[in-house]
Amino acid sequence: MRPLALSFGLAIAFAAAGQTAPPARAADESAATQQQPTGNPIDRWNRMSPEERERQLAKLPPERARLIRERLRQYNQLPPEEKETLRENYQRFTQLPPEKQEIVRQRMREFRELPQARRLVIRHEMEALRALPESERHARMNSEAFRTQFSPPEQQIIRDVTENVAPKR
Amino acid sequence: MNCPIESRNPEMLVAYPAGELDLETASAVERHLAQCPACRSLAADQATVWKALDAWEAPRIALDFDQRLFRRIREEVRFSWWERISRPFRPLPFRQALPLTVSACLLLMAGLVLQHPGKIGLVKPRHETVRLDQVERTLDDLELLRQVGMANQPENVNSHAM
Repeated sequence: MRPLALSFGLAIAFAAAGQTAPPARAADESAATQQQPTGNPIDRWNRMSPEERERQLAKLPPERARLIRERLRQYNQLPPEEKETLRENYQRFTQLPPEKQEIVRQRMREFRELPQARRLVIRHEMEALRALPESERHARMNSEAFRTQFSPPEQQIIRDVTENVAPKR
Repeated sequence: MNCPIESRNPEMLVAYPAGELDLETASAVERHLAQCPACRSLAADQATVWKALDAWEAPRIALDFDQRLFRRIREEVRFSWWERISRPFRPLPFRQALPLTVSACLLLMAGLVLQHPGKIGLVKPRHETVRLDQVERTLDDLELLRQVGMANQPENVNSHAM
């Protein structure tokens, strides 16, 4: 009888201890379990099981699902260095406030609408600017040469994309 | 003499059969017993008790009884806290101890599950789940970044879309 009483006594004591866990500790545990997902949505998509990916794609119209599969395949086939740079720039982009993200998106769409020859020139300029330290970059974007070489909309594209997404040097 | 029971002095009736009273008092008690059935009955019962005690022989104890007793007391003091906690469970046969242990564990689990319903036993393994609209939006953004040269890819503004 004594062991029986002891067993139940211990069990009740432990259960009671669990019931009265301090709230701060409970909050810490809760925060620990609610881990933030790591990586961008594509990385997370790639970590899903093939069955789960197919289950999600099966919910879409076949043509849209095919297009997504194709775009993902192209992303996954990028050379590792290129993918890494893209991933870093995307990470920097997502850290911008939403309204700034929308501005940069708009500029990049405007870039896409430019004639091919202008796109090439602008890309050259942005690459050159990215290679410069921040102070020199600003000086160059405020220079007369810059203003004469690029139209105001082009200048805005270069400025917004370079300043918001390009790595700081 | 007054009746010992009525005068609330029954010790006299206990001492009488033991022969502990002086002669005069013993004679007075004897005379009273001749005329008081209640006291006579009590004195007779007491005489039976004395006879039984005289007949009882105390069991012999081992010569080293004291040594063993004190050794055991010293050992009790030396027991660790765990031995003292677990000792009551030791004599239990496995057949009895198992259900008790299981029931105690179940009670403990029930308490913890009630306190942390999402964490113990009921927690599903964490799976990566991404909504497809998030994937598409990210692909759009990555494609835009790539087109403006944010992937350091070889210059080809006509690079195929992602």
